[in-house]
Amino acid sequence: MTRRPGRGPKQRGAAPPNLSSRRSILKLGAAAGGVASFGIAAAAPTPAAQTDDTETAHQSQPFFGPHQSGIVTPQPAAATVVAFDVLAHDRADLERLFRTLTERIRFLMEGGPIAARDPLLPPPDSGLLGPVVVPDNLTVTVAVGESFFDGRFGLKHLKPKHLVRMTRFPNDALDASFCHGDLLIQICANREETVIHALRDIIKNMPDLLAVHWKIDGFLPADTVRRLGKETVRNLLGFKDGTANLAASDTELMNRHVWIQPGTDEPSWTAGGTYQVVRVIRNLVERWDRTPLNEQQKIIGRSKMSGAPLGADSEHDQFDYVGDPEGIRVPLTAHIRLANPRTPQTDVNLILRRPYNFSRGVNKNGQLDMGLLFVCFQSNLTSGFLAVQSRLNGEALEEYIKPVGGGYFFALPGVPTPDRFLGDVLLSA
Amino acid sequence: MPTDADIHRPLLVAVPVVALLTLTPLAALSMEALPVNVTITDKGCEPNSLIVTEGKSMFAIKNASRRALEWEILDGVMVVEERENIFPGFTQTLSANLSPGEYQMTCGLLNNPKGKLIVQAAATGGPTAPVSALDLAGPLAEYKLYVSSEVDALLADTQAFVAAINANDLAKAQALYAPARIHYERIEPVAELFSDLDKAIDVRADDFEKKEDDPGFVGFHKIEKLLFVDNNTAAAQQVAEQLTKDVQELHNRIHNLTIPAAKMVAGAADLIEEVAATKIAGEEDRYSHTDLWDFQGNIDGAQKIYTLLRPLAAKRNAAFVKRVDANFKQVDAILAKYKSGNGFVSYDKVQESDRKAMKGPITTLAEDLSTLRGQLGLE
Repeated sequence: MTRRPGRGPKQRGAAPPNLSSRRSILKLGAAAGGVASFGIAAAAPTPAAQTDDTETAHQSQPFFGPHQSGIVTPQPAAATVVAFDVLAHDRADLERLFRTLTERIRFLMEGGPIAARDPLLPPPDSGLLGPVVVPDNLTVTVAVGESFFDGRFGLKHLKPKHLVRMTRFPNDALDASFCHGDLLIQICANREETVIHALRDIIKNMPDLLAVHWKIDGFLPADTVRRLGKETVRNLLGFKDGTANLAASDTELMNRHVWIQPGTDEPSWTAGGTYQVVRVIRNLVERWDRTPLNEQQKIIGRSKMSGAPLGADSEHDQFDYVGDPEGIRVPLTAHIRLANPRTPQTDVNLILRRPYNFSRGVNKNGQLDMGLLFVCFQSNLTSGFLAVQSRLNGEALEEYIKPVGGGYFFALPGVPTPDRFLGDVLLSA
Repeated sequence: MPTDADIHRPLLVAVPVVALLTLTPLAALSMEALPVNVTITDKGCEPNSLIVTEGKSMFAIKNASRRALEWEILDGVMVVEERENIFPGFTQTLSANLSPGEYQMTCGLLNNPKGKLIVQAAATGGPTAPVSALDLAGPLAEYKLYVSSEVDALLADTQAFVAAINANDLAKAQALYAPARIHYERIEPVAELFSDLDKAIDVRADDFEKKEDDPGFVGFHKIEKLLFVDNNTAAAQQVAEQLTKDVQELHNRIHNLTIPAAKMVAGAADLIEEVAATKIAGEEDRYSHTDLWDFQGNIDGAQKIYTLLRPLAAKRNAAFVKRVDANFKQVDAILAKYKSGNGFVSYDKVQESDRKAMKGPITTLAEDLSTLRGQLGLE
């Protein structure tokens, strides 16, 4: 956003040379009287002016950087994941798609006044956020699917090495109308309205380039960001989910497990990007709620209320399974034990999870259609999610969950500077 | 810092804490014509939120507090504009040239909440001059002829269709179903002006809670279901008799109708919205799978309107016309792939890739044609 005030703005505090003496005296007098009535320290926050609401509405995440936002970014409360068919006909269209996406996402994430035009025409903005778009912690993360590299754009040879089309695991019941996609956009923000505003903006600005394939909304408690590091969010099974997740704030850890590094055997354009897995996992909550607590805890491997691993005192206790080879404490089929066996050999399988809860309605039998919108990121899909899920196949929890959709994608590297655009490295590779 | 004593000092001068003119925060005010009034009380700004349009704004700042103050417009920590030394009881004005964005305004005491000043972007390009009634007269007269001939054909073809039903000739009735309907689809925006008849002629089972079993489900689609799913001409005869009456009535009403210019212009967009919302998934003619006929009908109707108005639009926005031409061409090319004899193959035969490929040009046409009315300066 560029602002061109009629008169050049002056930095508060830098005294203008032509300061009238009367003003100086007035200010001095006021200060001496202990009444800072003129906002001398305008930069200092005025407590009454900043309610929680405006504070969170103005929180923003950086658009520019080596990586896209929305991956290691703390999770705000609302999310939507939308898979698109790419309708572009050629490379020129594709470049227009990525340039337009870059321009729209940058505007939406940074905020600013909406464009206006002749009221005889449809307004260019949905108006959902009013005349000035607030950032509201918005992140819009763009990833491409395996079908994006199917040859129509001549990009087949540039497909990330491990990117494959999601195939069925034994417990899956995949619904084709909720699977795969050429392009995936994950939109997160403090408020659902902000997410919807961003989605409608993107759809409206690219009618000839993108067609919505499927979409699912996710949610977390409203205060998730504020309680980051203090309290683990619970999933709809009622268990704390994410206790042993990788620390997204640990750059070294992220470089090891999440971001593709330069000079690997991956195509060089992928550096700074990461594999993104989305799984729509229905939780059969009625049945789960009719399962004895002890059994629930054995299935997960943690105490339901405290989140502590079975046999441990507290949620964040460091432990491994060396002393429990028979699964006396934590059963061998427990979810946490299979997902992360905590051995040096399985360190390479660690992934960054970024899941949301979802709730959509009821199925034909009147049972609730809700569960986990599982999202994870990793630098190697094969040794990451695919390895973890293979270990989980046949886990005791399967009786209570049903993966019904999702797909595998590759989240593009970030846009480092304003002269660049999303995917430029791929198109020029 | 202010202390409690400062703030709660007894009033020396009684100042009415009244905003002289309360601005509704949503009313966009602009230019110098009217000053934007803001009153500063001991508690803060009244109103605490202002909206103006970019460019020059005049602010009238009334000091209704107990001490002299200065009023500032801030962009973060930057002072954009300020008016100093406004003494209690006095009003001063400030003229500011503001760019779009969200600003704060100081409201007296430092610990008073800052007010919010939103500067909206001005409409780009300015208002569009309406095309003259004279310019529209030709296209309107020609459109009226088009609608008349389509509704004549609708009546004739519906009568032939109903005759086949009454003769219990299932194959013939099935063959005449889509060709009769296409006329209706071409003039749907006009036909929809008569909502009673539109419901009687073209309603779909989705509109009823009991779907196909609902007694309110009548008209073309009810007959379609009876002919293509139940293979039952006898059951269709009663519905067909009513359909003939309704189409006859529609025919009469349309012939006596003066089509409003704005309705005709908007019709192009209405028809494309119809395609975008219901045709691509193949839900319109779910029993007969003759969707492509309806699809073509909607496109024909939109294209007719667009073609008549194209010279007017081209004068105003050449790029728009070029884009719309190209998108109609893309849709026509895809539809042409599925032509068979005088009509179309079943919608089942339309490849997933073509259904997908259709979405781009259709959605772009919907976006573009939604601006046609405004581009011609019509309400």
